[in-house]
Amino acid sequence: MFFLRVWVSASKQAVSRGVSVESVLTGCTRAASGTATDKEPLRKAKTPQGRFDVPEGKNKDVLEKFPDDVNPATKEKGGPRGPEPTRYGDWERRGRCVDF
Amino acid sequence: MASVRAASRLLSRRTISHVKAISTQYPVVDHEFDAVVVGAGGAGLRAAFGLSEAGFNTACVTKLFPTRSHTVAAQGGINAALGNMEDDDWRWHFYDTVKGSDWLGDQDAIHYMTEQAPAAVVELENFGMPFSRTEDGKIYQRAFGGQSLKYGKGGQAHRCCCVADRTGHSLLHTLYGRSLRYDTSYFVEYFALDLLMEDGQCKGVIALCMEDGSIHRFRAQNTVIATGGYGRTYFSCTSAHTSTGDGNAMVTRAGLPCQDLEFVQFHPTGIYGAGCLITEGCRGEGGILINSEGERFMERYAPNAKDLASRDVVSRSMTIEIREGRGVGPEKDHVYLQLHHLPPQQLATRLPGISETAMIFAGVDVTKEPIPVLPTVHYNMGGIPTNYKGQVIDYTDGKDTVVPGLYACGEAACASVHGANRLGANSLLDLVVFGRACALTIANEHKPGEKLSPLKPSAGEESVANLDKLRFANGSLRTSEIRLNMQKTMQNHAAVFRTGSVLKEGCDKMDDIYQTMEQIKTFDRGIVWNTDLVESLELQNLMLNAVQTINSAEQRKESRGAHAREDFRDRVDEFDYSKPLQGQEKKPFDQHWRKHTLSYVDPKTGKVTLKYRPVIDTSLDEQDCAHVPPAIRSY
Repeated sequence: MFFLRVWVSASKQAVSRGVSVESVLTGCTRAASGTATDKEPLRKAKTPQGRFDVPEGKNKDVLEKFPDDVNPATKEKGGPRGPEPTRYGDWERRGRCVDF
Repeated sequence: MASVRAASRLLSRRTISHVKAISTQYPVVDHEFDAVVVGAGGAGLRAAFGLSEAGFNTACVTKLFPTRSHTVAAQGGINAALGNMEDDDWRWHFYDTVKGSDWLGDQDAIHYMTEQAPAAVVELENFGMPFSRTEDGKIYQRAFGGQSLKYGKGGQAHRCCCVADRTGHSLLHTLYGRSLRYDTSYFVEYFALDLLMEDGQCKGVIALCMEDGSIHRFRAQNTVIATGGYGRTYFSCTSAHTSTGDGNAMVTRAGLPCQDLEFVQFHPTGIYGAGCLITEGCRGEGGILINSEGERFMERYAPNAKDLASRDVVSRSMTIEIREGRGVGPEKDHVYLQLHHLPPQQLATRLPGISETAMIFAGVDVTKEPIPVLPTVHYNMGGIPTNYKGQVIDYTDGKDTVVPGLYACGEAACASVHGANRLGANSLLDLVVFGRACALTIANEHKPGEKLSPLKPSAGEESVANLDKLRFANGSLRTSEIRLNMQKTMQNHAAVFRTGSVLKEGCDKMDDIYQTMEQIKTFDRGIVWNTDLVESLELQNLMLNAVQTINSAEQRKESRGAHAREDFRDRVDEFDYSKPLQGQEKKPFDQHWRKHTLSYVDPKTGKVTLKYRPVIDTSLDEQDCAHVPPAIRSY
């Protein structure tokens, strides 16, 4: 409220100087009332594209998820994605062999 | 309170005379618990919360945050004879494991592990571990190497239960989450220095808090060691930089033996530098190994199978090529795995993801350049000898004697379920079963809140003196240089290719390198988060493991499981099992090699003493599960 009064007194001075403070006052009342009844949508801050940001659609994993996470061949639910890891006798994943 | 006052007095004395003093005094904090667990990987967490669940006031001392332990890298599965895919019996799993160990595994421990396996997996599943499922909702089991039905006669068994492709990660997170339900006290980023031993009994652990450099003595009636393996003694290994065999070294410094350290598992194609393993499928799809002359050298070693020969043949061939000077690279210490002669479409469909793997870990474009590879360590079968209950044992006067107050589980222990060779998917099982076994044994034999036996006030003095010496070490060789020397020596002399002269040369070199530890130089004199100091302590631990490994390998004059020698190619048992037993005379104990190696080291000189201990050939209950008599191991 104090803030509003300061603005009001400032705007009175501004009016005497011929500056339009309508928008300022409406802004203050908007802030004071607390609800965001916007006439224009809030603009999203634009951040610069980072060096490591991957544009949408390029980040496709080589091993695709099965539909519903169920392997169609073996009917395994929640199993490893992609081809069967044990097909070469070891546990293969993206060309790497995992020891366990 | 007295110790805090004393510490403050010491601190004030330090500030007065710090200019002249060479060794500084450290604040020492004493703790009292019912049980202390060193290490928070799969086995350590299972033991810690098993003990907390049983009501013991437990401390878990770990140098890494629990979910960062190396268990997280074990992406495969756990074996258990649940019988979800076909009829299965744990006795068939028992047979497979005994055979896989080349009859060096203790059959009572293997009986215990395989019998408890279904219950252990179901327990994990009840803790919330999201195993993959069949259509009926049962745990999905897949086939994995070395598992058969009906004692090897019924074809391939499906026993491996997994969680997508991150079983180890999931296991660790499940166990850690579960352990938070109980009031285990975690001491994270505390480096355990030594065991507090008095009159042959273990009374606790002394540890360095890395965060502020204070020394903590954990007094406990029961100490469980679960510190993992020691892959970092070799130049090329898949293990984390933190796999430094701290538990084995602590036990060695306490004057107790380590068992079967010469049995180290190698994989033929590990990426040079990174240590990640390249799947055998690369060779299965047509990839070839070439040396510096561009020759497909496997044609000479295995004319029929060529690159698809068994792992040990491929590893040995690669090592022989490197030894004979036909290695590639600036130091001629590895060979190439060539895949660019295969059509790129085929590579992408059959081995999806390999181009990214090769680019990330080897920095090569797999469609244009070959991948640098060499035989790589991935598991240590040996460790601290225990019985099937998880109690650490020593072998005196011809029998096993339990060391009171000390237990071990996981890769650090040697129960021995893996014997001379470990089967895949048995390692994660080993962690949970024996972690639980340690907790159960302690709960059976002790009560929470038991009075602690008295401990000398000067206990742990030597560890602090050693720490102080290392912190102000000012010799001529940096820690990294000594470590690299040790790793290269072990890779050249105690790797896959083992023969008398090579091992003997390696033993002498390791002896010299051990002596160079006196000339170690550290740079960081601080007390807060001194990684130079911790790496030097880890190097001391690695050294003890390395000398025991190479000396045990040099003495064992036979080939068994993962220990294969060119000059002694056969297994030497008490009978010749390739012929009928009738009419054969049993060889005396000191003339055959079906026995465990127990190695002791004098930490000051680095001299290794070896003793031998017989293999336990009887199962826990001969009526329920007959032991498997030794035979020739062929698949």
